[in-house]
Amino acid sequence: MGAHHFHPPGHGHSALHRAPAGLKLAGALALVLTVVLLPRSQVTGLLMVAVILAGLFVVSRIHLLFLLKRMLLLEPLVLGVAGLMLFQPGGGKIFAVVMLKANLCLLTTVLLANTTPFTELVRVLQRLRVPWLFVTTLTLMHRYLFVLADEAERMRRARASRTFTRGRRFQWQTLSSVVGQLFVRASERAERIYNAMCARGWK
Amino acid sequence: MNAIEITNLKYRYHDGTEALRGISFRVLPGECIALLGPNGSGKSTLLLHLNGLLPDKLSGDGAVKIYGEPVAAQNLENIRRQVGLVFQDPDDQLFCPTVAEDVAFGPQQLGLGETEIAARVKKSLAQVGLAGFENRATHHLSHGEKRRACLAGVMACEPAVLVLDEPTSDLDPRGRREFKAMLRTLPATKLIATHDLELAVELCARTIILDHGQIIADGRTVELLSDEKLMLAHGLERPHILHHLHPH
Repeated sequence: MGAHHFHPPGHGHSALHRAPAGLKLAGALALVLTVVLLPRSQVTGLLMVAVILAGLFVVSRIHLLFLLKRMLLLEPLVLGVAGLMLFQPGGGKIFAVVMLKANLCLLTTVLLANTTPFTELVRVLQRLRVPWLFVTTLTLMHRYLFVLADEAERMRRARASRTFTRGRRFQWQTLSSVVGQLFVRASERAERIYNAMCARGWK
Repeated sequence: MNAIEITNLKYRYHDGTEALRGISFRVLPGECIALLGPNGSGKSTLLLHLNGLLPDKLSGDGAVKIYGEPVAAQNLENIRRQVGLVFQDPDDQLFCPTVAEDVAFGPQQLGLGETEIAARVKKSLAQVGLAGFENRATHHLSHGEKRRACLAGVMACEPAVLVLDEPTSDLDPRGRREFKAMLRTLPATKLIATHDLELAVELCARTIILDHGQIIADGRTVELLSDEKLMLAHGLERPHILHHLHPH
């Protein structure tokens, strides 16, 4: 099942996993703010944050390879932003610092996300009185991400089983039609979910 | 008083498809009725009407009444409290992250207190055989478990009428058997749209056959389902189980 790929392995086995979600969220926020607010010249400060994160990583007992894979997934975004720095004078050093900062933030969120169940994070947001519309949207998004991913995987498989040519152009065409189909299906499902919510008294 | 009373119900979709062409029937409290018919015969559309889920149909024309109360915009809350709808795809219905939260959704919307909600969650999970599943993630359940969780979510609102849309489709034989046994224990009035003819024979004394948006037949299940000509004419068949009920 495709959906299970989203789930962190070794769920709930370390001290970091067991720590209260509110504490972790506050800690992560503090770390990210520190990284963002530190001036570029304060590389030692950034390195200290890096040491803290490395310590947390060891405590969390997440596999290094798993962590790197997660980081790599989001690296294009980081590179895209940091890459722009290369176009200004003296950009090399700025690029390096921005890369460091962005990766530290990324590492913080990856650690948080993989040691804290999403539902607990949502509950913390609820307690902090984050607007209910936002919390509900977030909850529904998380819930149906798996359904959608499974659906996409089933459609991809069904297409692949009847795809006999290997032309790249054809593959792109296939992909675009899968994406389109997925969009239609998702909006139809949204309609049905809304009905189901109404049926149980949603106002 | 009738639990459900439908008088000359007509419905046309936006694209012009006539889904229902003058449906009329009555259901007494406590009855268990099978709604049979080929794909596209209007079964699901009919079920949506019982909960006022087709917004353009809420003019209050009195075509659908639940315990004497017409389904109309101003009393939707009460109608939905009385009629529990279990949808075809469990993933549409289980929209909360955990089983307990999902079952609690209905009672929360009813504005019940926390202790009452907790009690109802516990009771309805036990009713469907999912005691101890409270903290399980809804997307990690098996298909059969999802079906049960859906039913628990609806039972927690304690509806007088239970409406199920193909409750046993996609279940393995054991899942189907267990689901049927559980349905039998629920005291509510039941209207079950299904292709599972064995379910109709085992659970429902009365059957309504729908085709092209019209009621073709309404009568005792065993009699209707034994009528091979009638069954074949409407995309159905005489179920095997009847041979065992009446050995030659």
